[in-house]
Amino acid sequence: MQAKWISKKELKKLLTAWTKHYLVYAPIDNDHELAFQMVKEPARIVVDGYSNTRYPAKSLFLPQSEVLMKYDGILHSVENTEKEKILFGIRPCDAHAMQLLEHALVDVENPDLYWKQKRESAIVISKACIAPEETCFCTAVGGSPFNTADSDVLLVEMGEDYCVYVLTEKGISLCKELPDAEDTQLQAVKKLTKKVVGRMPVLLPKQELHNALMASFETEFWKDVSQSCLGCGVCTFLCPSCFCFDIVDETVRKERVRNWDTCMFRTYSLEASGHNPRPTKVERTRQRIMHKFAYWVDLIDEIGCTGCGRCVKYCPVNIDIREIAEKALHREFEGMKK
Amino acid sequence: MKNCYEPFPMHIERIVIETTDTTLKSFELTFDREADRKDFFVKYNPGQFCQLSIFGKGEAPIGIASAAWEGDFVRFTVQKLGKFTSAIHAMHVGDPIGMRGPLGNGFPLDKWKGMNILVIGGGCAFSTLYAMTKHILHPSHRADYAEITALYGTRNSGLCLYKPVIEEWHNRNDIVVHQAIDVPEDNWKYHIGFVPAVLEEMAPKPDNTVAVLCGPPVMTKFTLPILTKLAFPPERIYTSLEKRMKCGVGHCGRCNIGHKYVCKDGPVFTLKELQELPNEI
Repeated sequence: MQAKWISKKELKKLLTAWTKHYLVYAPIDNDHELAFQMVKEPARIVVDGYSNTRYPAKSLFLPQSEVLMKYDGILHSVENTEKEKILFGIRPCDAHAMQLLEHALVDVENPDLYWKQKRESAIVISKACIAPEETCFCTAVGGSPFNTADSDVLLVEMGEDYCVYVLTEKGISLCKELPDAEDTQLQAVKKLTKKVVGRMPVLLPKQELHNALMASFETEFWKDVSQSCLGCGVCTFLCPSCFCFDIVDETVRKERVRNWDTCMFRTYSLEASGHNPRPTKVERTRQRIMHKFAYWVDLIDEIGCTGCGRCVKYCPVNIDIREIAEKALHREFEGMKK
Repeated sequence: MKNCYEPFPMHIERIVIETTDTTLKSFELTFDREADRKDFFVKYNPGQFCQLSIFGKGEAPIGIASAAWEGDFVRFTVQKLGKFTSAIHAMHVGDPIGMRGPLGNGFPLDKWKGMNILVIGGGCAFSTLYAMTKHILHPSHRADYAEITALYGTRNSGLCLYKPVIEEWHNRNDIVVHQAIDVPEDNWKYHIGFVPAVLEEMAPKPDNTVAVLCGPPVMTKFTLPILTKLAFPPERIYTSLEKRMKCGVGHCGRCNIGHKYVCKDGPVFTLKELQELPNEI
């Protein structure tokens, strides 16, 4: 890892220079809603003063709707036209989620080539959170506002400058012109890191939580926590680590398409016979929480939630995944046996 | 590198109407491309399934009902039930169709060598058991296994699949076949009653025996306790599960039970494996 330094003014110049050689995707303000978009005018990039985009960065690699194949009597895969691109300004929680998605979609035998090609063609410049929101809890699930996982470069805003951590070969190629950070500057970054992290929630005991959730499976606990759920699915659509998709045929366009899907919908698991293993919101809410905090732990010994807080922030009825985890940890389900 | 979502082109070679009510048909598909045929038969293990694909109707996961030695085709027995299965039921010999597979794990036939095999099937779920039994009965495989016993139940005799072959099995001396129907019929020579009750009456010995069970959920639910009562240990009771599926390769999310995906880690599980997972079948 190298530590470099750049002023805010110089970074703007650098961003403009990059747009000449790369496709750059960055947060752009669209009527008060931040979204990752391809940069046409570098001046519109929102670099500071926000906590996160509404849509997670996964949408650039696993788009909400994506053409997989075209039909002309038989189905042909669409050609890979991915160009090298820079993804600028992604938060550490979203970068961490990309590692989880990589695990879910890319296995040795059947890699998801659509994801893989997009991911491999991207240089990820993430930005540390110096002012996490009230809904942020990355530290509770094993992350940090300064986490470097799955990033090539990490920027830390330091007054009128940024400290630039260069983490990979890809990152070095972009930042080789920048001067090294001085020791006093690095000490200031360390101090800031400590201060910000110190205000964040403490780490959840992942195995204890896993065991508690497994024990809660057949109790009335889930009826209780899902009571107010409307089944809108926003928690999963905006989740950076949710990856479920549907495959549908668009007969007019003659295309086979994949669209984001959600375990919060009835038809998601409804079988042709009429049987549904998750017939109500009780089982569906249980699936969402268990997948994040129990099944991921079974699979890779990591929690499958990155603590971005979007599901908390955007839930129309204020269902809070942190509260559910806490309640499970405190074994509130005991005495709620069916 | 191969795109795991792209079906390969096949054609319908033969269609057999299996049941008197015509809701079940078998489709034998042949490969348009030699490379796909080779790839399929290198991988295929009885108990696996494929995603069949009709553009405009989507895809559906269907169990493979043929043994590899039967020829260069793949058989699927399909019940007419939803949009996709109604569309395939309306298709004709010579029509093109897409296919992805074989998918899933299949039955651990190597592990069962030297053992007795008790096959228990109900209704249209008998298809992959049929493929497995055919595989085992082939002269080059039969000696690898001890006694083979099959119990196959259907609501009535007209709903029995693969009638000519099962009739032939009754006359073989290397397999014992028990057939059952739910209510009496004229000229019916075999058992009358539901599969769990007939199984209890048969009282097969659990020693050195694996029980392989495929049927509708209600049959499975009542047959498992009988097997347990007959002292079959959970690690020697196998069953094949169904779920709604899309990708078939463990990416799209929907077919999970706990941290296992039925498409990738199954569809074949032992009762012991299922007991260790959340109860969400």
